Amino acid sequence: MNGISAENVKLGYGDRVVLEDVNLTVAKGEFISIIGPSGVGKSTLLMAINGNVKIFGGEMRVFDKNLHNIRNSALKDLRSRIGVIFQGYNLVKRSSVLDNIAGGMLRKMNPLQAAVKYYRHDQYVQIYEYMRAVNLEGEALQRCDRLSGGQMQRVAIARALAQDPEVILADEPISSLDPVSAKGVMDTLQRINRQYGLTVIANLHQLDYARRYCNRVIGMNGGRIVYDGKPEGLDNDTIADIYHGSRENESVFGAHGSVFPVAAEVVYDA
Amino acid sequence: MNIAEIKQKTNPFRAYNLALLFVFVLLIVWSWRSTEMGIKLLLDGWRNMIVYIGGNPEIKNSGFFPPSGSVPNIVKYLVLMVETVQMAFLALIMSVIIAFPISFFASRNTLEIIFPGHRPLDTVIRKTIYMATRFLANLSRSINELVWALIFVAAVGLGPMPGILALAVHTSGVLTKLFSEGIENIQGEPVTALAATGAGPFKVIRYAVIPQISPFFVSMILYRFESDVRAATILGFTGAGGIGVYLFDKLRSYENKDVTTIMIIIIITVALVDRLSAAIRKKYT
Repeated sequence: MNGISAENVKLGYGDRVVLEDVNLTVAKGEFISIIGPSGVGKSTLLMAINGNVKIFGGEMRVFDKNLHNIRNSALKDLRSRIGVIFQGYNLVKRSSVLDNIAGGMLRKMNPLQAAVKYYRHDQYVQIYEYMRAVNLEGEALQRCDRLSGGQMQRVAIARALAQDPEVILADEPISSLDPVSAKGVMDTLQRINRQYGLTVIANLHQLDYARRYCNRVIGMNGGRIVYDGKPEGLDNDTIADIYHGSRENESVFGAHGSVFPVAAEVVYDA
Repeated sequence: MNIAEIKQKTNPFRAYNLALLFVFVLLIVWSWRSTEMGIKLLLDGWRNMIVYIGGNPEIKNSGFFPPSGSVPNIVKYLVLMVETVQMAFLALIMSVIIAFPISFFASRNTLEIIFPGHRPLDTVIRKTIYMATRFLANLSRSINELVWALIFVAAVGLGPMPGILALAVHTSGVLTKLFSEGIENIQGEPVTALAATGAGPFKVIRYAVIPQISPFFVSMILYRFESDVRAATILGFTGAGGIGVYLFDKLRSYENKDVTTIMIIIIITVALVDRLSAAIRKKYT
C-alpha cells in the first residue's frame, strides 16, 4: 500500500497529547486541505506524517511503514519520499533559486558533489523541469532574498518536487502571502498534483481556497477531526462546528461577511 | 501589569541600574589605583618622548628623523616585508583549515545536526565535544603569538617557519571562536527544511548552514589577515622571521632612522592590506 493511514492515533509532544482519535486514510493523488482554528493541531497532524511528532497510541502507517518505532536511516528514507513546504518558505535566502531547489535532491547526491555544488547534466535537466513547473526558470541564478514572497514559496515547492516525493505536505503555504501570490501558489500546487499525480495535503486558513482547489477537506477542532469529506459538504453548520468557539470566526468569514474572497485573475508576481 | 509596575521596570534610575553603575565605577577606580595610572606623570614626562624621538643625546645619530633613505636597506626591508605578508598569508590558510571544520563541533546548533537525538547519552556526547573543542580554541587563543613563537623557535629553530606556526595556532583558536559564534546565530528554518528531505548532516550543513555564514566567515578571515600581518611584524623579536628581526635589531643598536623607515613600510603595507580586504569584503558580502 502506498498511502497514509491512521487508526485511533494519539499525537503530541513531550508528555502532552495534542490530538486524539485520529482516523484517516489518504489515497495516492488526493489534494486534501486541513482546516480549523489556530492551535487545534493541524500542523501536528501534518508533521506526524513526516515522522516529526510523538505517537502516544494507535497505529499510523505511511508508505506501509509503522511510524511508531521508525528511526535513523528508515526515517530519513521515509522523509526523502515526502516533500514539506513551510509557511515561512525556509529557504536559504543567500543561495540561488537553483541551489535551493538542488537542496531537495541532497539525499541522492554524493557527498563530494554536494561539497562543491557540482550538478550532473541530468540533474540540471531535472532542476530546470521543476523550475518550469513553478514558472521560475527565468530566475534560476537569482538569489532568493531578491524574490517576492510568492516566488519564494514557489521555489520551496520546486525544492519539494526535486525530492521526487510521493506526498507533499504544505504547512500553511499561503498564510504570509497576498491574495494574488496566494492564488499563484495554490495553482502551482494544483498543477503538480495533477501533472505528477502527487498527493498534496495542505493546512489552510482560507476556506475559499480549500473549497476551490481541494477534492477533500478535513476539518479540525478541539484536538479532533470533526469533518472529513468533499468540499461541497461544507455547509454553514459544518463550518460553524469546525470554527465553533474560536476567536478566528471573524477572519474566516471575512470583514464583510463573505467567505474569503480570492483574487479573480491569476497573475504571477514578477 | 499596572502602570506603577511598568514605570518602575522602565525607570532608568532604578536601584538595579544604579548598583550596576556603582560596580562599574568601582572597577575603574580599583584598576586605576592598582596599576598606578596617573595623568600627572604623563604631564610631567611628555617632553621625554620628544627627546627620545629626537635621539639619545649620548649616542650620535640616534634620532628617528629623518628616516633612512639608503636604497639597499629599503630593498632589504621591502623583501622582508613581503616575507612578513607571506608568513601571515600561510598562517591564515593553515588556521582556516584547522578552525573551519572544528567550528561546527564548537557550535550547539550544528552539533545537534551532526549528533541528533534527545536521549541523555546524545546530550552528554554533544556537551563533551562542545566543551573539548571550546577548551582547545581557548587554549590556543589565550596564549599570545609571541609566546607560541618562542615555543616553536625552540622546536624548529630560527626563521619564518616558527612564526608561521605561532600565528596559525593562535589564529585558529580565534577563528574557531568567531566562526562558531557566527554559526550559532544562523536561522534554523532552512536546516529544518533540508533535514526534512532526509539529507544527512554533512549535506545539510553544506546547503543550509555554510551559505548563511559565508559572508561572516569571509569578513572574519580578512580581519584576521590584517591582524596577522600586524602581529607578524613583531614576531621577528623572537627570531621567528619577518621584518621584525630588523626592527628589533635596529631598535637595539639605536639605528632609529632605519626604524622609522621600517615603520613607514609597515604602515603603508598594513594600509594596503586594509584597502585590499575592504575591496574583497565589498565584492563578496
